[in-house]
Amino acid sequence: MNHQLQQSNFSARKSVWNCFTASFFPTVFLFVALLLVAGGCATSQPHIPLTGDPIVDGQAYIAQGPKKDRVLWEYRTGLAAMRRSEFGLATEMFEDAILSLGAMMEPDAATKKSRGYFNEEAKKTFYGEPYERVMAWFYRGVLYWMDGEPDNARACFRSAQFQDSDAENDEFKSDYVILDYLEGFVTTQLSGDGSDAYKRAEALSKVTLPPYNPKVNVVLFIDFGAGPVKYAAGEYGEELRFRPGASPVKSARLRFGRQDLSIAPTDDLFFQATTRGGRVMDHVLGNKAVFKKTTDTVGNVAVITGAVLASNEDTQTAGLALLAAGVISKIISAATRPNADVRTWQNLPQYLSFAMLTLPAGEHDLTIEFLTGQGTIIPQLTKNMTIYVNPDRRDNVYYISDQSVASQPTPVPQPDKTT
Amino acid sequence: MKTKINLSSIAAALTAAIVLTGCASSGVKNPSGAKVTEMKADERGFVAGTGIESQDLVAVTDKMARSILAIPEIQRATIVPRIALLPINNDTRFPVNKEAFLLRLQTQLISKTQGKVRFLARESMTDLEKERELKRSGAVTSETNPELQEFKGADFFLTGKLTGMTTRTSAGTSDYVLYVFQLIDARTSEIVWADQSEIKKQGLEDAAYR
Repeated sequence: MNHQLQQSNFSARKSVWNCFTASFFPTVFLFVALLLVAGGCATSQPHIPLTGDPIVDGQAYIAQGPKKDRVLWEYRTGLAAMRRSEFGLATEMFEDAILSLGAMMEPDAATKKSRGYFNEEAKKTFYGEPYERVMAWFYRGVLYWMDGEPDNARACFRSAQFQDSDAENDEFKSDYVILDYLEGFVTTQLSGDGSDAYKRAEALSKVTLPPYNPKVNVVLFIDFGAGPVKYAAGEYGEELRFRPGASPVKSARLRFGRQDLSIAPTDDLFFQATTRGGRVMDHVLGNKAVFKKTTDTVGNVAVITGAVLASNEDTQTAGLALLAAGVISKIISAATRPNADVRTWQNLPQYLSFAMLTLPAGEHDLTIEFLTGQGTIIPQLTKNMTIYVNPDRRDNVYYISDQSVASQPTPVPQPDKTT
Repeated sequence: MKTKINLSSIAAALTAAIVLTGCASSGVKNPSGAKVTEMKADERGFVAGTGIESQDLVAVTDKMARSILAIPEIQRATIVPRIALLPINNDTRFPVNKEAFLLRLQTQLISKTQGKVRFLARESMTDLEKERELKRSGAVTSETNPELQEFKGADFFLTGKLTGMTTRTSAGTSDYVLYVFQLIDARTSEIVWADQSEIKKQGLEDAAYR
């Protein structure tokens, strides 16, 4: 009797197994084949060897890399060029990048796809998070000003501030001190009334801002520290998070003639990156994560239940159907891409600041020291620069960073293009 | 067995649908890029933002040129008036090529008035002075006495200002730009002509960037 029962069970199991192999294996085979075929749909990118030179690598990626990352590489290359005093190249990079920012209002297939369940956010054309877009406009403004176009510089500072105007919390909307201050300063220099912008800057600032002085003829932009680093958190990497970049530099000191001038940060990009509040895309990614989790759980339940049912001859067909549905659900889950986009403009500084000087026409030697939080000078970062004060210029504008290549000569400012 | 075959087919079809949905090239418009399209400068192109664009420049300068031509200082001038350009002041949030506005306006006026107004090439003064020095030194020939001062003074200055206002809400961004141009009498400082043009644009970024 027992033997007969065992035989019967064995036959039933064999029957289930045959049925299972007849229906399930071809299905799985088809899945795998389709996955392989679909894998061929992805556009293969050419291998671009990295040289370690940020400008050479950046230009190679702009020319041959994915189109969706073009603006990212322009940001990186533009800033690297500024730090080598290659301002012509920097202008070219930032000009193209900010022109591309206008396309954020244009329908874009890649961007549309990035909102879909089966594409990650990084599929979208990169324009950067608002703090990155702010910085692109900011540097373009600095370059315009260096080129003798303060009104176009002011336009860029306004557009930069505009990029930050949709923060969730009103307190953190358009709250870059340097942008308001400089907007007012340029307006004053152009015989306008910059007092409103000054008041806005003063209200936002944690440091005492100098009142606008019409005798100022040198504006030195100084940035230092390491910019925010993006990372993905959450069960599926669906949450965009930031951590501060690794740099001991917290302030700077400017020495010229017999004078020492402390340079405190006016703005902190890590603070700016982390006070924006939620993005619309966070909701999209959150939904994707929920979908991924749900389909995975449904898949697990269906596979287990289906396997149990399939082992019984009476419920074999239903069990196999459930098993197949479970596998499909698991595949859908695996194909869902809720990952946040962590592409980062990685050579940004953390702190922005500036110095305004009134100097006689001619050459002047400046020394810029960078200090830790304890006020200790980091000697290897000290920069020496010679600036030329052109008496035909309203403002002679210079830029220096703790990452600048010190040996690069600074260009002589040309006459203003604006009266 | 029929059920089994159907199961396989359904599963395969579903998988194909899922996988192909995630395929990078499906549904992409213009995967090989878009052919260069020649457009009229006053036409709104398929690449457009809320900033200042070529069609704005064309519309504004056309309107200004028509408006200047109607003033008595130009229409009834007994001596050909000479105009010098002063840089435009950009007070908007959009960096612009300011020279483009004045150059187009200048060209429109020269071509439409057929010599009724003359413009002074003040931006070329350095080169003009060099040439005069060459003539004075005898290094190059001169049809007239090079010692005479023949550079003309301006009767009028043509200048302008661009100002703007921006509004941003969850519904989108609205940018208003006001273009004001003026003709100033160089002798009396009177503004003998002024006109304006206004353009407002609205748009909203893709949700992926908000």
